[in-house]
Amino acid sequence: MDKRLLLLAIMLCAAIEAFADSTSESKTVIGPSNIDLYDGANALMAGNAEDGVPLTLQGLKTAQDQREKKIGHANLCAGYLLLGQAKTALGHCNWVLDLDPYHWRTYNNRALVYLRLGRLEESEADIKRGQELNPRSETLKEVKGIYLDEVAPVEEKIIIDDRRNEPLTPVEKPE
Amino acid sequence: MRQLIFILFMLITNVSGAAESESFVARVIDSNNERVPEHTVAPTYPRKARRDRIEGEVRVCFEIDRQGRPRRVAVRNSTNRTFEKPSIKAVKASTFRPLKKNEPVPQIKACRTFIFTLQPLDEDEHQAEPGT
Repeated sequence: MDKRLLLLAIMLCAAIEAFADSTSESKTVIGPSNIDLYDGANALMAGNAEDGVPLTLQGLKTAQDQREKKIGHANLCAGYLLLGQAKTALGHCNWVLDLDPYHWRTYNNRALVYLRLGRLEESEADIKRGQELNPRSETLKEVKGIYLDEVAPVEEKIIIDDRRNEPLTPVEKPE
Repeated sequence: MRQLIFILFMLITNVSGAAESESFVARVIDSNNERVPEHTVAPTYPRKARRDRIEGEVRVCFEIDRQGRPRRVAVRNSTNRTFEKPSIKAVKASTFRPLKKNEPVPQIKACRTFIFTLQPLDEDEHQAEPGT
């Protein structure tokens, strides 16, 4: 796996919906309500899409409500991209955004999907929309960095200039 | 201009870099600094600054002891705090030629300015890069 893809994978894992965390807020449910979605999310967050995607698909079959479905599809978007199946991933991201156009994590993931597909303008639009929804997201900043490296690569240049010295004040004189 | 006469060389890659990704470094030496640099360390371009396309400048001033080691290193001014830490680190890791026994310590405080810039990559070079 090249460095760029690895970074991409890390970004995706950071953008995966933490199913376990959101369900644990409930006072009436002890433990996750959909164990497959929960295990799938954990596997994806560990970067293990080979296990994470099948578990999430299984979890989707028993999804109780729209919220669980949304989480499942959002995670599948990330999972399929990790597997290198960008077109399949795109379908899942679109599903989520059709249902919830304010889901910044999915804009984040779809921006990466578009990047992978070479659809740069759409990627930029998703990054912009995601940042409007969550301006402080470090994940989106990372994705924007990847996007900028694609469209406007730069090289670092550090100039070291020793020309301007200043006289020592009396107290600063070395011994 | 007197200063320009004494610009000894522009090093492109021959400056020791603490950077993981090697920065393209140009170095300017001036004779006003009576202490001759022996080992110059370039700072690392902060990753987040590069990611967010932030450029900046830091001026660090310091004393140089008889052995050529920087002492009392301090930031004189900077355009962005992100660049201060790597600049201080680079100065502290640099050395100057030690003074001989009877040589007086110059009554001057050395200052070094680090200019962090990001320049558009050559289009052809970018195209030729594998995996992009």
